[in-house]
Amino acid sequence: MSKQEFIESGILESHLMGLANEEEQQLVAEMMLSDNAMSEYVNDLEDDIKRYFAEGSVPPPEAVREIILLRSIREKKGPSNYGVGETVDAKQYLDVEVNDTHMKVHKLWRPAFIAVFILSKIFLIAGLYFYFKSVAQQEEIDKIKTEMQQNNP
Amino acid sequence: MNELERAGNGVNGQAVSKPKTLTSLEVYDQYGAMAYGIILQILPQVHLAQEVLVSVFSSPQLQSCNSYPFTFAACVIKLAREKAVEAKRKLTALVPAGAEYASGDTSPQSIFDLAFRQGFTPDEVAGKLNISKKEVLHSFHEFFKSYRNA
Repeated sequence: MSKQEFIESGILESHLMGLANEEEQQLVAEMMLSDNAMSEYVNDLEDDIKRYFAEGSVPPPEAVREIILLRSIREKKGPSNYGVGETVDAKQYLDVEVNDTHMKVHKLWRPAFIAVFILSKIFLIAGLYFYFKSVAQQEEIDKIKTEMQQNNP
Repeated sequence: MNELERAGNGVNGQAVSKPKTLTSLEVYDQYGAMAYGIILQILPQVHLAQEVLVSVFSSPQLQSCNSYPFTFAACVIKLAREKAVEAKRKLTALVPAGAEYASGDTSPQSIFDLAFRQGFTPDEVAGKLNISKKEVLHSFHEFFKSYRNA
């Protein structure tokens, strides 16, 4: 296959896009080794392909970068080997800033909150009951005093 | 020359080489948007596309790009397509997709779409369009040739 035929065959494009089979990949490698000008052509072709796909670029969300960063840090630290009896170094944990307005508490807080709520209602009702009762008694006392004053001028 | 400055280009008939090893994050900063665009073309579901994007840049295969005979861009394009097609195949295995190509359309654009975006191999494209594989590959050349001349 001549150089021109090889270029026009589209094998190079196929290879650069990851569509070539092993035989074609081998052919590309051989052609590039045998011809320096072919490398120049491949450079130009790569730039064209890169430019074509760069035109369709879409900026990914910032969170994706954070995830990749965390994963690369984890990979650098290597796989965890927490065996039985091994102490876990606190530095092995990643510092993750969580942008969340919620907080988590222990489950035992739920009955505690319910008990406090019920007690507060009981005290409120008792307070109101004794308040109105004392007001009523005061009125009764005032009424009796008035009657006694009227009976004993 | 591109941004990676292919040192030793063509010297002793060697293919291009890279002067330094890039980390996943450096490659992401340079080619993340391009890779995301490619993945979205193949897999339009945004959340799935983002998962694939993470898998591309967390993949050990990305480190092999350092020894890839071409640029990182070419390696990322290849890897992004590969991962997106893989995810698309898994998805279509669950929900079979209908034929998304114009039957009989053998234009370079259509052939490129079938092979790159729809995830068919050149052999499969040739079978679908009743043309030879040679014609399929030639269409790739024609496609980028027309893009270059446009």
